[in-house]
Amino acid sequence: MIRFEHVTKKYGNSVILDDLSFEIKEGEFAVLIGPSGCGKTTTLKSINRLIEPDAGHIYVNGKDIAETDPVKLRRSIGYVIQQIGLFPNMTVAQNIGVVPKRLKYEKSEILKITRELMDMVGMSYEEYGHKYPSELSGGQQQRIGVLRALAASPPIVLMDEPFGALDPMTRSSLQEEIIRLHKKLHKTFVFVTHDMDEALKLADKIIFMEGGHIIQMATPEEMLENPASDLIRSFMGKRAADSAPVQLTAADFMRPDPISVYKSRGVRECTEIMARRHIDSLLIKNDDDTYAGVVSVNSIKRSGKTTGPIGEVPIAENAVSYVTEDAMESFDKLLNSDKDYVVVLNEDDTIAGIVTKTSMAKAMADALWGDAQ
Amino acid sequence: MSFWDLYGQKLLVAIGVHFLYVLAAVSIGFVIALALGILLSRAPGIAKVALPLISVFQTIPGVVFIGLLFLSLGMVPATAIIALAIYAVFPILKNTYVGLLSVDKSLLEAARGCGMSKMQSLFEVELPLALPSIIGGLRMSTVYTVSWAVLASMIGLGGLGEFIYIGIATNNNALIVAGAIPSGIMAIVLSLLIDAVKKRVTHAPKKEASAA
Repeated sequence: MIRFEHVTKKYGNSVILDDLSFEIKEGEFAVLIGPSGCGKTTTLKSINRLIEPDAGHIYVNGKDIAETDPVKLRRSIGYVIQQIGLFPNMTVAQNIGVVPKRLKYEKSEILKITRELMDMVGMSYEEYGHKYPSELSGGQQQRIGVLRALAASPPIVLMDEPFGALDPMTRSSLQEEIIRLHKKLHKTFVFVTHDMDEALKLADKIIFMEGGHIIQMATPEEMLENPASDLIRSFMGKRAADSAPVQLTAADFMRPDPISVYKSRGVRECTEIMARRHIDSLLIKNDDDTYAGVVSVNSIKRSGKTTGPIGEVPIAENAVSYVTEDAMESFDKLLNSDKDYVVVLNEDDTIAGIVTKTSMAKAMADALWGDAQ
Repeated sequence: MSFWDLYGQKLLVAIGVHFLYVLAAVSIGFVIALALGILLSRAPGIAKVALPLISVFQTIPGVVFIGLLFLSLGMVPATAIIALAIYAVFPILKNTYVGLLSVDKSLLEAARGCGMSKMQSLFEVELPLALPSIIGGLRMSTVYTVSWAVLASMIGLGGLGEFIYIGIATNNNALIVAGAIPSGIMAIVLSLLIDAVKKRVTHAPKKEASAA
């Protein structure tokens, strides 16, 4: 459908597209993504000749577009831009009809197409057709922007970060709509974005570019499983790692190196540590570093002891997990016990860490949104 | 005999002549300015040189220019109209140029991307969007021209200037006022009229101009 053969574009000394060759198949939803300046927009705009390459050939339907009249070419390719670009001097209906009118469709035909398209995005012709773009919200405007691109039923639609300027809620609902339209209309969509979430959500095929080259061209699943470079991995954030559901254990969620003392430490010293660290209990360990139990401020108070080793204060039991234990089980223990934490032990019964509600929440946040460090 | 009985007839004729000068001069100036403005907006490089040159020309006093034109063309209405038209060009030209250049670049890209030819983009997108600015220039030109048209009488071509000049020469204040007030009213009425037109075209953008 769309084929690039050794396409090169330079501005002065900087190479924007470097000997680019690839193909987008008919009916595919291809998403061009990459860091800014990677050439994704230039690639898109050379498909409808808004930008002319310096070397190489681009074929649309087997025809070299350099030999097609650019005005005619553009009428056969839908185009949606980030700034929406609805003509403010025309009504919504007139905007949608811009390309069909160029193609000399009958007036009644244009009206019919406009009604159908507007129904498709849930904006009735009666209500919105005669409004001016400035009377619509941003999301509604871009819906019309997309419809304008679809109006003459072009086999190819190019979209240059069309949802980049919209708020997340609107963006998400427009993404859903564009997926629906793509499924329904069986057109070839070429979509530029810098948002990997958007690419993963929309694409049949993601084309990842950097420095005018294609680094990887793959389906979203392939790219998640097997990102070709560290840059792609960083674009995907945590998602790549999560693709194979790793068994999370207590160790992933604990706070390591909690404060612990030997049984032989003095009571006074222990209360001082607690006061200094603003905690109300201490982990107690035996002389061989194995876990013995927990002593709280209250139990020290109740015992009435102010001197002597801490080991003489009654040591309480506490919920315990092992580092290899499934994270979910230690959560259960934490939620079901009346204690503020679960003690996590190594295989040899030495103390590894504690799972608190805070450490749990933090670990979950890391897993969801990536390391916040 | 009252003032009106003496001069009424003459005053009405003078108002009519004055108005015709303004109408003819502004119409011609508008067409020239619009065409020049469009051409210059396609070539901003040339415009950077041309616009300051034209604005320098604008500073030549009207009296000098109308006098020069009188020497070569003689005492015909065309002399006054040509001179006034040339002065009417600049405000419209400048506003047309600025208006066209201030059209959002993303709209130009959208127009191109939609497969509009350059002409279609100009007539259906750029000119309609520049219209408020162009009409603003038209208004300015019209108001100026009403006052400049007073100069026509300097070379014996009538208009309200005649009253003013005769009034000054004969020390007759009534005549001066009789010339000045109608020209003042004419300027105000025309500018209100143009404002109304501007409001109309900007508030409810008409159906798409049919372009080539």
